[in-house]
Amino acid sequence: MPSSTSSFERVIPDLPWRRLALAAALLTTVATVAWEWRVRAWGYAPTLNDTTDLWAQQREKVGADSLVIIGDSRAHFDLDLDELERGLGRRPLQLAIDGSCAYPILADLASDERFHGTVICSVVPLMFFAPGGPLIANSEDALKRYHTRTWAQRSGHYLGMALEEHVAFLKQDDLTLEQLLKRLPIPNRANAQIAPPFPPYFDTLDRERRARMIEQCAQPGPLQDHIKFGWPALYTPPPPPSYVPKEAFLEGMGKAIEARFHDAAAAVQKIRARGGKVVFVRFPNDGELRKIEDAATPRAGPWTRLLKDTGAPGIYFEDFPELANFRCPEWSHLSAPDSVGFTKRLVPHLKKALAP
Amino acid sequence: MLFNSLTFVVFFVLVTGTYWTLRSWEARKNLLLVASYIFYGAWNPPFALLLFATTTLDFWLGDRIAAVPPAARRGWLVASVTVNLSMLGFFKYGNFLLENFQWLLGRVGVAYQPPHLDIFLPIGISFYTFHSLSYTLDVYRGATQPTRSLRDFLLAVSFFPQLVAGPIVRAADFLPQCAAPPVPRPGRFGWGLLLMTLGLFEKIVLADTLVAGSADAIFSYGGPLASLDAWTGVLAFSSQIFFDFSGYSTCAIGAALCLGFELKDNFRFPYGAVGISDFWRRWHISLSTFLRDYLYIPLGGNRTGPWRAVLNLVIVMFLGGLWHGAAWTFVVWGLLHGLCLAVEHALRNLYKNIQWTMTRGGQLLLSALTYLTVCFAWVFFRAADFPTAARLIRAMIGLFPHGDAILSTREIIQVGCVTAGLLLAHWNMRDTSIEAAVARLPRSLLLTLWTLMLCAIILTQGNGHAFIYFQF
Repeated sequence: MPSSTSSFERVIPDLPWRRLALAAALLTTVATVAWEWRVRAWGYAPTLNDTTDLWAQQREKVGADSLVIIGDSRAHFDLDLDELERGLGRRPLQLAIDGSCAYPILADLASDERFHGTVICSVVPLMFFAPGGPLIANSEDALKRYHTRTWAQRSGHYLGMALEEHVAFLKQDDLTLEQLLKRLPIPNRANAQIAPPFPPYFDTLDRERRARMIEQCAQPGPLQDHIKFGWPALYTPPPPPSYVPKEAFLEGMGKAIEARFHDAAAAVQKIRARGGKVVFVRFPNDGELRKIEDAATPRAGPWTRLLKDTGAPGIYFEDFPELANFRCPEWSHLSAPDSVGFTKRLVPHLKKALAP
Repeated sequence: MLFNSLTFVVFFVLVTGTYWTLRSWEARKNLLLVASYIFYGAWNPPFALLLFATTTLDFWLGDRIAAVPPAARRGWLVASVTVNLSMLGFFKYGNFLLENFQWLLGRVGVAYQPPHLDIFLPIGISFYTFHSLSYTLDVYRGATQPTRSLRDFLLAVSFFPQLVAGPIVRAADFLPQCAAPPVPRPGRFGWGLLLMTLGLFEKIVLADTLVAGSADAIFSYGGPLASLDAWTGVLAFSSQIFFDFSGYSTCAIGAALCLGFELKDNFRFPYGAVGISDFWRRWHISLSTFLRDYLYIPLGGNRTGPWRAVLNLVIVMFLGGLWHGAAWTFVVWGLLHGLCLAVEHALRNLYKNIQWTMTRGGQLLLSALTYLTVCFAWVFFRAADFPTAARLIRAMIGLFPHGDAILSTREIIQVGCVTAGLLLAHWNMRDTSIEAAVARLPRSLLLTLWTLMLCAIILTQGNGHAFIYFQF
């Protein structure tokens, strides 16, 4: 066979390419505008996606004595950054991640030798003590992005934010082709092990990652019910894998949870040894979800042990009437106005817990 | 910088706009060179220096090879091959070699704990090493003259459309295009844009959105799988790797066309192949022709007797497998292909006059067999280790009657539709080209398809998944 060593010319189909390209661009623009109009009619509004890039951008701002919020979606929704700044004298950095375990982030801050600031860590025991799976992966993905971000990813992030702030259909967790396909009502096989679906869009996000529940979710209605009744499945631990004996699985889980207590204590100790502070907070929950969480992880269990092992102060919402009286419209998070009131009432307790 | 990112869209618009505004051909090439290094440096700037250093060295070595008497040429070529492959070996195979060395010593009772080298693999190193190496090899073979322009050679190796994931463009194909500005050709820019759209559609919509999730779920599952799920996962990967890699190549060809450069096809409907040798004439053509011209033929090809030809094939496919990654699973994948090529070679000699193999039905049957063989080999290519591959193969042949069902019906339907569409398209287009097929389409249908692809890309919102071949 001859070697391929000479220049050549590609065939170009003989078509009116300029007209075709312009027509395709025009039709695509019309279709895109129509789609934007449709999703706005459904109640969607422009807001940022909670991407690992946005998280990494905030993580990069963490200085030696920063005030940092870590944990799950409750810390993300329920804390107002303005009220915290007013009360604690420093603008906090929001690093809580929805549907995540806080431990990898805590460990990362502990291993950051520069850091001797203050950490407010939300604890939902079912999430904080997750031995692996998506809860850990969500935190690790964000950390990986922070540690390995390229210039191309940075610029893509800034361009993406500029678009997301003006275009409503750019919702990566809700309106992508993949998410739309997932909505198709196709029944699964009886024996299929399918993870429960995540809740749809119900919050807005700004460049500081301040999450606010949208009004449509705060008021009773189909969206609120959809989210509310989706939590029990998400908060029910999956059954042991078929290929691991139950006893071995439970033993492994027990060891992993013990290791998490130990590792969390070590991380807190590292931060405190450098002069930093850590406070754990149990944010409000409600309805059936509170029953599920209390049954699976009673307060006397992991929460009490975590405070004892780490020696860090803790604030449990039920201990204080001014915190316990808040209601979560969809059982897990506070509405946007309530998050401001809640933070205002939480600040004195934080001050007390963080006092020397 | 990923093709499927907003950064690239802005980068490409700026570079292309400026490029066609400049009048001077030299200025245009300077712009492309700077843009290509920005494109590469946006991942990790220090590695752009490594790219520059190795390319410059090959430029100089190419010059030496041409300048010295024939008897001394071999030494300079060996220097080029040694430097290029050593660099590739260090970055890509350093830890792999150490781990295997440790294992070997362990077999003879020597306990050795090698240091783990914290090596960060420069993206696309396997591709640009071959781009660069092809130059010194071609100068040595007399297939091309050494270029006098370092800038042109730097551009040939680093030209951003093909820099990190191919096609492997030989300097001999690219350098002549640097000699003069591209001759205006009607439709080149528009056709380039359509190819870029098609490539992005393949990558973002077909690979990442419709099949990648199923492939990832199946290949990362630690337990026994139901046969349906295992097959779905393997078929999903067979579609994913085609659309991912072909999507990149198509984008690269389209982007190059928009800039007036012409790159050769890297895929020619490979799942319509009849036989493994036909498959390799259609899959990753730039790699298979590279290995043919620079390895198989120098080893003697099929000119040195049937047994030596078989051995040559196996050596080539062994190294081809290793080129893809530093793991024994890739080696097994390559060897499986080498073995299949050898068996096919023997069968062709034994049964060359069998009529039914020439009928359409016979060809279809052989094509289906080829596809199943390729899918079986993909298991080793994608699996993280041999236990995973073995578990998956056992599931595929039904050895786990009560295996776990982990895919949703929607995912199975998606994979089924994409795979069926892919096989149908490849079978029907195996004797034609994308250009011929597009030229035959009614304009209204072409416009509708182009618009639908653009809308689907926008709807998918560019998830920013890296291309599979970046890791190679």
